[in-house]
Amino acid sequence: MNNIEKAELIVVGGGPAGLSAALAAADYGVNVILVEEREFLGGQLVKQTHRFFGSEKEYAGTRGIDISKFLVEKIKENENIKILTSSRVLGIYNDKIVTILANNKMIKYSPKALILATGASEKFLAFENNDLPGVFGAGAVQTLMNLYGVLPSKKILMVGSGNIGLIVSYQLLQAGVKVACIIEAAPRIGGYSVHASKLARMGVPILTSHTIKKAVGKDKVEGAIICQLDSSWREIKDTEQFIKCDAICLSVGLSPLTDLLKQANVKTSYVPELGGYIPLRDENMETSIKNLFVAGDVSGIEEATSAIIEGQIAGLNVAKRIKKDIDNQVKIEKKIAEAKDELELLRAGPVGEKVRNGLKKIGLDPLKNYGEKVSTEEFDISFLMKTGIPSKENLKKKLPLSEDVFNKGPIAISECFQQFPCDPCVKSCPFDAISENGSINNIPYVNFEKCTGCGICVSKCPGLAMFVVQKNYTDSTSLVTLPYEFLPKPVKNQIVLVLNREGTEICEGTVKRVRDGKIQDKTTVVTIEIPKEYFLEARNIKVDGGQKHG
Amino acid sequence: MRIEQHPILEFEKGEKIKFYLDGKEMIGFKGDTIASALYASGIYKLSESKKLRRPRGIFCAVGHCSSCLMIVDGIPNVRTCTTPLKEGMKIETQNQEVVLNE
Repeated sequence: MNNIEKAELIVVGGGPAGLSAALAAADYGVNVILVEEREFLGGQLVKQTHRFFGSEKEYAGTRGIDISKFLVEKIKENENIKILTSSRVLGIYNDKIVTILANNKMIKYSPKALILATGASEKFLAFENNDLPGVFGAGAVQTLMNLYGVLPSKKILMVGSGNIGLIVSYQLLQAGVKVACIIEAAPRIGGYSVHASKLARMGVPILTSHTIKKAVGKDKVEGAIICQLDSSWREIKDTEQFIKCDAICLSVGLSPLTDLLKQANVKTSYVPELGGYIPLRDENMETSIKNLFVAGDVSGIEEATSAIIEGQIAGLNVAKRIKKDIDNQVKIEKKIAEAKDELELLRAGPVGEKVRNGLKKIGLDPLKNYGEKVSTEEFDISFLMKTGIPSKENLKKKLPLSEDVFNKGPIAISECFQQFPCDPCVKSCPFDAISENGSINNIPYVNFEKCTGCGICVSKCPGLAMFVVQKNYTDSTSLVTLPYEFLPKPVKNQIVLVLNREGTEICEGTVKRVRDGKIQDKTTVVTIEIPKEYFLEARNIKVDGGQKHG
Repeated sequence: MRIEQHPILEFEKGEKIKFYLDGKEMIGFKGDTIASALYASGIYKLSESKKLRRPRGIFCAVGHCSSCLMIVDGIPNVRTCTTPLKEGMKIETQNQEVVLNE
């Protein structure tokens, strides 16, 4: 037994949950061993080029890749954390002995506590020829293009319209890949409407109530056959359609990677709302086995932001058990309470309902404090959630009531119509002109009296849903300021094609200003002059040149 | 194909790495995995199914699905999507029938 090393805490998984768990415990002096199977830390964060939603406290408005850099740097600076990369945890035994394979050598540890943050794997979908090369999981597409700089294909069919499907579609466009269309079996888009709107104004069709029947091709995908579904999810006859594409991307959900937990005999339960089999655990993230904690997607599929907070809760609880001096106990208790509040707040809105229902099934009550702060405002977004395009009624609610407002100069327009937890627009406004009425789950409104049209919010909104309009720029023209994340970047005085929310070309515009500094952080803020009649229509541009690939 | 320009990311091409696929000389770059180097060179078939010999390519790219298993320097069942590419590696397309080394 002398080859078994003693340890305080072993964290399995170097993704957002594992990183934050290791940091939270190590900050109170706990000695942590962080084990990651890949040769680098960061998990899925390292390929998330988009800005995160959620609360500014938990890095909202920052791109996933930058959150990863920040956390990994803090981990590397922390003397209490020992990092084992390219190391695979092989087993966790009854006496909590952990075996790890590193450099073809087996090492054994006996830790006081364990936090499993093993994440999730992508679900597959049954259809003919689904084994052809060119059928990818959405994560694989992201890995190839954002991590290795390799294009997965030239033209892709996206299956699934959850946040991952929508985000990866947008990232494909940014990498220069055409997206033939996005199909969704449900009658409604699964992800946030702002992500869908970004794609709609790029002209990408989103087909709800559609599924894939077959991949076509001999050695590689050459196309796909899709069809329409009725309200009971059955195929509607004679609706088959051939889509020409050289890859098919599946974004049909994630399942928690619970293999290690099952091996350790942790009690699990099947909860479809949380992605499948999940470990039973309490609100401190402790499983049915004492001192064995979980955090992140392995405990139920959610967003990276909640994974980070769950990691904190687990890490702090381990610190509380190991570092017993009174002073620390009080501080740690306070931090745990804060993290729990933050997590509840994230889950409090309508988009958190599924997760809340799932948590109730394992005996947790996720909505003790925040239910009443979320507004019950009626906003019919059924058309928006089918197409990605807001209805006229939706828009009307976010526009100024009086024409006079347009006379004062430029004003910001928030085209955000869905309640989900996000606040960078509110937090970034230097004039305190955007409000969500007390909860980050509410829809933001611009106070046109206070707004100066400065355009700071345009690059801060993770949904790219903030615009600035100056209706009466001249007698016949208006200015529209919009976010732009494609190449080539437009230059001043250039003539560009102007598109509406459906991605249709409506007119030409002249670029008047391009803001592309540190504040914008690669979300270029472009101001165009256009014929006045289009000031409420112009929401995207097409710049000559296009991206080049070798 | 490789991404040359990207609005958000910067890709620094590492030094060239020479390797062999079924005896044929190929070029990848430092930072590549075996599978990413192959896909960048237009090779999409990594292995084939046991009975029907259907082609298999990358599915998950994170080392979980075993669709990308190949023979690397004589060792079968290597997960090429997570194995870093090294100079002189000899990669072979694998039939999933391959028996484990004794």
